[in-house]
Amino acid sequence: MSDTRLLDTGTVPERFARGWHCLGLVDAFRDGLPHAVEAFGGKLVVWADSQGEIKVLDGYCRHMGGDLTQGTVKGDEIACPFHDWRWGGDGKCKAIPYARRVPLRARTQTYPTVIRNGQVLVWHDVEGGQADMEILPPELEGVGTDRYTDWTWEVIDVPNAHCREIVDNVVDMAHFFYIHFAFPTNFRNVFEGHMATQFMESTGRPDMAGEGYGDEDLILKSEATYYGPSYMINWLETDYKGFLTKVILVNCHIPTGPNSFKLQYGLCVEKPEGLDDKTARYIGKKYSDMFGDGFLQDVAIWLNKAPVQNPLLCEEDGPVYQLRRWYEQFYVDKADIVAEMTDRFEFEVDTTRANENWRAEVEENLARKAAEDAANAQTVEKTPEPAESS
Amino acid sequence: MPSFVPLSPDTVEDQRRYTRARLVEVACLDCLAKVGVKKNSEHHTSIQWSGQALKQCQEFARMSDAPDGRSVHAACPRLAASIEAAVREGEINIGAEDGY
Repeated sequence: MSDTRLLDTGTVPERFARGWHCLGLVDAFRDGLPHAVEAFGGKLVVWADSQGEIKVLDGYCRHMGGDLTQGTVKGDEIACPFHDWRWGGDGKCKAIPYARRVPLRARTQTYPTVIRNGQVLVWHDVEGGQADMEILPPELEGVGTDRYTDWTWEVIDVPNAHCREIVDNVVDMAHFFYIHFAFPTNFRNVFEGHMATQFMESTGRPDMAGEGYGDEDLILKSEATYYGPSYMINWLETDYKGFLTKVILVNCHIPTGPNSFKLQYGLCVEKPEGLDDKTARYIGKKYSDMFGDGFLQDVAIWLNKAPVQNPLLCEEDGPVYQLRRWYEQFYVDKADIVAEMTDRFEFEVDTTRANENWRAEVEENLARKAAEDAANAQTVEKTPEPAESS
Repeated sequence: MPSFVPLSPDTVEDQRRYTRARLVEVACLDCLAKVGVKKNSEHHTSIQWSGQALKQCQEFARMSDAPDGRSVHAACPRLAASIEAAVREGEINIGAEDGY
C-alpha cells in the first residue's frame, strides 16, 4: 500500500440543516411587496401582512405552480399571479375568487418565523418537527435602540461550495494570518449542545497595511458563537490606535442548493460616547467593508478548493474533526443525534510557535520591501526627467 | 440518514485518531467529574466532556444559577487546576505524535 495521502472528497448531504436560518433584516420585507428568497433548494415567498407580521411560505402555488414571489399582497394574503389563489401565512388557501369553494387539502409549506434583533429567522426541518424556541439566538440588549447604529446588511452569493466551508472557519486559526492578514495570538474553541464558539485575539500584519485585517494598529478581541448550523453572533472589541469600539457582527448563511449558499453579514456599532450619529455610521461602514473584504477573500478560496472529508492536521490547527462532529447533529434525524455530537468540548490552540514564525516572516517581508523601496528611489533619481510631450 | 459520507475507510480511522485517540481520563479534584484530556504541547489543551461530567461540575452549576446563566465560553477554573495538577504528577504525556 502506498504512503501517499489521498483526499477523501466524500459526498455532500442530501438534506439541508435543521435549525433557524436568517433571511435578512425585517425592514427589508415591510414594503407591502412579496419578496423572493432562494433557500433550501427552492424559493420562498416572504411578505408582511396588514399588521406588519412577516409570513414565509414555499414560493410556488400548489394549484398550478405559479410563482408567488411575483404575485401581489392582498390584505393579509399573498395572491398568485397565475389564477389569483390567495394564500395565508398559516399555509392555508383562504380564497379562490373564481371558485365556489376552496378545496380542503389546499395547504402549502409554511416556515415558522421569529423576528429577533431586527432580523427574520425561519425554522427549517426536513422531518417537519416543531420549531425549537429554546435554541433561538439570544436577544442583543440595546440593539435596535439609539445606543447602536442600525444594522448594515450585505449578501454574497457562493455558487459552488457547501456551506460547511464557512462553518469550518470557526476552528481555522492559521487562515487568519494568510487570508485575513492578522496574527491570531490567542485562539480557543468550545462546542456544547447547539452552540460552537470561537474566542480569538489578534493584531494586524504590518506588512499588509490596509488589506483585510492587516493594520498593525488594529487589535481585535473577538468572541463568536454559532447558535445552530447557520447563525453566528460575533462580539468584537476593536482597538484602533487606542480608540475602542464595540462591534456586533452577524455572520449567517442560507443554503440555496446541495452545493451552494448565500453568505450574509451585518453589523452594528455601539455609538461611542460624544460621537455624532453620522461618524458612528461611518465607523460602522468602515468595519462592514473590512469584514466584507475578509469574506470575499474566504469565498475566493472556497470556490477553488476541493471538498475534504479527511483534513490532514498539524499541531497548530484547531479541532476540525470535533467541529464537524458537532455540525453533523443538524444533518441527521433528531432521533439519530448521539451524545458525542453535543457533548461539551474545549480546545485551546498553542499559537506560540506559529506567531514566532509569522513574526519572522513579516520582518523579512518588511525588510525586503524597504530594500525595494530604496532601490526604486535610486532609480528614479538617476532617470532623467521625460521631456514634455506637447 | 447519512449526511457527510466519507468515501474511504481510512477517513473513519482519521476521525478516531483526531477525536478519541490519546485522551487521558482526568478527574476533577473538587467534584470528581471525569473528562478526557489531551495535550500536544504545554499551552495546548483538548478537553472532552461527557453529559455526566457536565452535570457533576459544581462550578458550572453555580454559573448556571447566575441571572445571565452560564456562558458557553466560560471554562471551569477548578478543572483547569486539576488538569495542571495531573500534568505535574506526570499523568498526562505532553507532546504530539506524528505531528499532531
